[in-house]
Amino acid sequence: MARLELRRLRKRYSGSTDVLHDIDLSIDDGEMIVVVGPSGCGKSTLLRMVAGLEAISSGELVIDGECVNDQEPAERDIAMVFQNYALYPHMSVFDNLAYSLKNRGTPKAEIAQRVEATAQLLDIGALLERKPRQLSGGQRQRVAMGRAVIRKPRVFLFDEPLSNLDASLRVQMRQEIRALQQRLNITSLYVTHDQTEAMTMADRLVVMNAGRVEQVGTPMALFRKPATRFVAGFIGSPAMNFLTFSVNTLPDWLPRVPAETNEPLKGELSVGIRPEHIALTTLEDGHIEGCIELVEPLGSESLVHVRIGGHDARLVVRHGGMELPEVGQVTGLNFQGPFHLFDRHGQRLSTRLRLADTNCSMES
Amino acid sequence: MRYHRPNLDVLAHTILIIGALIFMLPVVLAVLASTQTPGALFSGTLPLWFGGSGLEHYLTLLSEPVRGVGVPAWQLMLNSLLMALGIAIGKLVFAILAAYALVFFRFPFRRCCFWLIFVTLMLPIEVRIVPTYGVVADLGLLDSYPGLVLPLIASATATFLFRQFFMTLPPELMEAARVDGAGPWRFFIDILLPLSRTNIAALFVIMFIYGWNQYLWPLVAMSSADHATVVMSLKRLTISMDGTPPWHLATAMTVLALLPPVVVIVLMQRWFIKGLVDTEK
Repeated sequence: MARLELRRLRKRYSGSTDVLHDIDLSIDDGEMIVVVGPSGCGKSTLLRMVAGLEAISSGELVIDGECVNDQEPAERDIAMVFQNYALYPHMSVFDNLAYSLKNRGTPKAEIAQRVEATAQLLDIGALLERKPRQLSGGQRQRVAMGRAVIRKPRVFLFDEPLSNLDASLRVQMRQEIRALQQRLNITSLYVTHDQTEAMTMADRLVVMNAGRVEQVGTPMALFRKPATRFVAGFIGSPAMNFLTFSVNTLPDWLPRVPAETNEPLKGELSVGIRPEHIALTTLEDGHIEGCIELVEPLGSESLVHVRIGGHDARLVVRHGGMELPEVGQVTGLNFQGPFHLFDRHGQRLSTRLRLADTNCSMES
Repeated sequence: MRYHRPNLDVLAHTILIIGALIFMLPVVLAVLASTQTPGALFSGTLPLWFGGSGLEHYLTLLSEPVRGVGVPAWQLMLNSLLMALGIAIGKLVFAILAAYALVFFRFPFRRCCFWLIFVTLMLPIEVRIVPTYGVVADLGLLDSYPGLVLPLIASATATFLFRQFFMTLPPELMEAARVDGAGPWRFFIDILLPLSRTNIAALFVIMFIYGWNQYLWPLVAMSSADHATVVMSLKRLTISMDGTPPWHLATAMTVLALLPPVVVIVLMQRWFIKGLVDTEK
């Protein structure tokens, strides 16, 4: 078990600009950190740098107080689960599991015993003689996990390990991985593009965008107080709705609170509202009106997509009722807080800036 | 995808049978001719059935020094076998190592190396035979087994094929091996070689036949009978002072020359086809 520290980690490919900018992160012993972001945000590169498969351009990678920048992957004592599992196709499951131990010169008896124990842990005892191509996707996934677990590494790395599985298996495996990680108490870094996976598995979440860390925190903290518009839009499903207003034409339904500074609020504001905080209502009661474009029934609730004329925006509403609204119908929308306010650079409004000609501010 | 239409089957089989007959005809004629008495082959018509000599000519070839060459056929076959094995194994070893370096290592001028190797594909033996002869002569290897094999021991084709195969392997395989503590050498031995088995088998067959059929280089570089090969001897056998080539011996020698490649193909057929067809690894 180990503490992992990333200090101003940077990746630059020769002849191009930086793909990762000064990543700072510290991971506690036994903690599960999930790095989430859209494809191309650099999350996989980050993971591969930690693994030692990509060189570190600048900055330090520290495991248990020791800088491991120049160490080979095997010397770092990490284990990695790959997206395509990367099982050795010509080896049996037993040999796949045993390979890393063999390379370390572990005695045969101990290898057999540890393979046995690992197979039992992952419920793959009956598959030991099979070749990877004779296994189903979920079984391969387990073998890949086993190959990582068997060595008792200091750090576990996961590179989108569930994206090759079908939906129901994915839900099951993510619970199993999480349970296993907690049971073995292994420091883990888990990369995914799936926000549900990220939310459900993480002790702490790292949201990345364009080579930078946008925000780090517990899943609920990020959900409740996203630091940037990007995080707000990325965390939560269905995604948060945004309406843009000029500060001079802020609607009345946005609650006012006393301003904290004298600094005036300028330019445009993005107001973020989660789908569960909008209600369908009559035209008279609504804060705003719109035309229903699409209704997606999910069973316990429905997602109603409403086109707002004046803003050229489409809002998604979580509708709890059993009766489905009709497509094409004009409806009123009622907004309830909390509202998330972001300035035109996408940063959350942290201090309560003063609205022009008033003593008021917006709550955020 | 397969079509199931009876007429198409008949047509396909007809074409296949005609093709097989065309390919078989020279071989059958050679076998038939090799069993004729010397006189029977000079009557002007080619006999279409076995002659009276049986295996007599074969025994003659194998036991007595061959006319125009000076060593018995078994010695020629042994030389050919050594040459073909040397060339085939050498080519495989060099090609797989070169391809390994080209695909899995990043070093300066890597692409340049690849293109240099690739360009040699365009230069057949005939083009470079004079400088090659010079080099081998300077090394003092003329008329020796190393001299027979060494100039033919590297293969751009095999390097290229191995490179293509290695490039189809997911890069994660090497990364997983690295994480598992396998160095470059271990990765090569434990993972790359076993995965290349069928390709190696297929290329071995092709390269063995290529080596076995070498004609020009042994002819130029091997002057003594001790290092003569079967294919070389075929030409010499038919040179005759009195104007009547001993066709009965020449055809028998042809059949003998045919046997080892046939044995190799029959033994490795399954792997050979797998290596050329198999994409699922």
